[in-house]
Amino acid sequence: MENSQTEQHSKFGTFYNKNYKKLFLLPVLILIISLGYIAYFYSQNGDIMFKDSSLTGGTTITLIGDVNSQTLESALKSQFSDLTLRKITDLRSGEAISLIIETSASPEEIRPVIEKFLGYELTDKNSSIEFTGPSLSNSFYKQLLFALLISFILMSLVVFILFRTFIPSLAVIFAAFSDLVMPLALVNFLGIEISAAGIAAFLMLIGYSVDTDILLTTRALRKKEGKLNTRLYGAFKTGVLMTSTALLAVLPAFFISSALPDSFRQIFLILALGLFADLINTWLTNMSIIKWYCEKRRIE
Amino acid sequence: MMKLSWKIWLLIVVLMCAALAISPSFETGVLIKSVEKNSTAFDSGLRPEIIIKSINGEQVKNIEDYQRIISSIFPVQDKIKLTITTKDSEFILFTDEAPLITIANIPKTKIKTGLDLSGGARAMVKPEVPLSSAELNDLIDITSNRFNEFGIKDISVKSVRDLSGNNFMLIEIAGATPSDLSELVSKQGKFEAKIGNETVFIGGEEDITYVARTGEQSGIYSCETYQTGEICSFRFAITLSAKAAKRHAEITNNLTINSTNPQYLSKPLELYLDGQLTDSLLISKDLKGSETTQISISGSGAGTTRKEAYDTALVNMNKLQTILITGSLPYKLEIVKIDTISPVLGKEFTKNILLLALVVFFIISVVLFIRYRKIKITLAVILTMFSEAFITLAIAALIKWNLDASSIAGIIAGMGTGVNDQIVILDEAVSSKQTSLKERIKSALFVILGAFFTIIAAMIPLFWAGAGMLKGFAFTTILGVSVGILITRPAFSEIIKLIVKD
Repeated sequence: MENSQTEQHSKFGTFYNKNYKKLFLLPVLILIISLGYIAYFYSQNGDIMFKDSSLTGGTTITLIGDVNSQTLESALKSQFSDLTLRKITDLRSGEAISLIIETSASPEEIRPVIEKFLGYELTDKNSSIEFTGPSLSNSFYKQLLFALLISFILMSLVVFILFRTFIPSLAVIFAAFSDLVMPLALVNFLGIEISAAGIAAFLMLIGYSVDTDILLTTRALRKKEGKLNTRLYGAFKTGVLMTSTALLAVLPAFFISSALPDSFRQIFLILALGLFADLINTWLTNMSIIKWYCEKRRIE
Repeated sequence: MMKLSWKIWLLIVVLMCAALAISPSFETGVLIKSVEKNSTAFDSGLRPEIIIKSINGEQVKNIEDYQRIISSIFPVQDKIKLTITTKDSEFILFTDEAPLITIANIPKTKIKTGLDLSGGARAMVKPEVPLSSAELNDLIDITSNRFNEFGIKDISVKSVRDLSGNNFMLIEIAGATPSDLSELVSKQGKFEAKIGNETVFIGGEEDITYVARTGEQSGIYSCETYQTGEICSFRFAITLSAKAAKRHAEITNNLTINSTNPQYLSKPLELYLDGQLTDSLLISKDLKGSETTQISISGSGAGTTRKEAYDTALVNMNKLQTILITGSLPYKLEIVKIDTISPVLGKEFTKNILLLALVVFFIISVVLFIRYRKIKITLAVILTMFSEAFITLAIAALIKWNLDASSIAGIIAGMGTGVNDQIVILDEAVSSKQTSLKERIKSALFVILGAFFTIIAAMIPLFWAGAGMLKGFAFTTILGVSVGILITRPAFSEIIKLIVKD
């Protein structure tokens, strides 16, 4: 068994030695498409993402219980054209738990209309009402983007201090950048409105996605035992287990997310997309650069 | 007995301290949150934090029991004897109304949950003009005071600052939400009593030394049918300062007798709240030129039913009294965020988060068992993950951090990096044996330390961005990974050394 593994391993090794530069092209292509799409998206929408009411300002009303969403929607749509409704059901029982209504109108405007339709007063026993003023949400959004930038710079600094070599550090930072861009392009493509918690998830990705890159670079440059390919393969095995465990841990959140706070759903979605992108960016992008760097430097 | 490294002992000791910090409580009863000052309950000696065990011999296990018992006793016509047995003593009240206290269930653990899980209200207010920190503190004082005067006790008012240097006032109320929260928060509360164009007195302690809130001098005195609805009127007495009384004398001295209504003076005393006329009071002719300090303030409330009108009048009276006591703010306030969160959904969320945590633990165990085929290793990872979450929760409980949904997402994210780190250690430990185990674990710790610092770097800006609304996420993530790097990771390495040696 040991033997056949080494044999397979070496077969893959020869293939990898020949083709690793080509493997690098795939993620670069995806990155270019993603960046292109975000640029196109920006030209269409004037922003790099769709924002929900926590970032644009507006009201979110959560009605608890089984409320007939269709009749309510048709009753409200005529007055509040930008209104969206989302029904939350319990996955296990299929029962309706709540109905989430979002609009840019203020609570004073929409609340009486909903109360009139439902025929009862909205209290903290049957509903939650969240309102963010446009001035706050606007600065909130800008600050979160700024925080994202600062995070990225701080992370880059940490990476440079860790490895103190230019190209390998840059490779890690490049992979982290791709980890942010790819999920963003996909989220935009799916038309998902990003909340404040969603941006926090992107911040999380910055921290979360680089650990496999650090693992790879450490094993390749700092470790002395075994051949380069063996070390890369070892890092790959460990890293894939890390990321797939994290992915598997994030996935069930989607199945019970129906009855979880809304912020959870988005944090987990973005983390999942980012982790998936990280598989590509660490093991195709970053690994190819490291391999090329080691060969140039004759690190074996 | 097996000799354990100090790192493992440290973990054990910290876990025990954590259990103490969280300390689940299995006690039954209800906890007093606040007691209305000068009420019978207050005079009898009842105070916040006391636990009520029974009323008139009937056992009180929770809020529902308390409410059921109280509503079966009250209302009554005459004063009755009410025996309240608490955890360590007994209080006897002679009263004709339910005790003026607010109560809550005894918290099961010392973990505090945030608004989105426990329900409550939150408002963020921005003054129209930039304030110095001293002015902001004044604003916070006045606001807290207003809420207290209004009868809301479980409240936190503090200043927050965002990345661009804007100051906000953040108000958080746990549990129930006052229906007119936005008004209470944003009202500048500018009260003026005018005769013609001249101001006689304004709200605040400089002009008003006393506002009657209970007894004969304050209350609803009449209700009547008016057009299609009902209207109820209130009045309460206030005492003016000597300066304000003198002003009253000077201004009324210049008035003549009302020609159509000769009992009164020619101009009424008009009450303005935030620039709007709320009431107009005729001044008796006897008061002309007198330095009167006792003034009766009146107003009304309307509704479709008598009960509604009565309640509205009570609320209006309370509001006016509050403003007269606390005075006005010298600038306008803008509500930039206001959330009222139902406690009903929070319960469901908490249940599901716990379920989610269980499922995640299970999935990770299965994956690790498939990879390493060793039950001991799987158990070690799960135990470490659990310890990490537990210690993080304990620290949060210890420093009274309110765990909101994003804080919990942060704990989960911290656990995620924890598992990743453990996999790095494991793979080094079970990898080829060319170098010593110690050497290999050292190399793993380099990766872990690197990952730790990048997470910290990524999370730090969130402490300030957006006035700290996502601080919880950053805080618990950093807390979780720090607990990992300082306590659980070293212990885990030792445990793995023990397992691999076997």
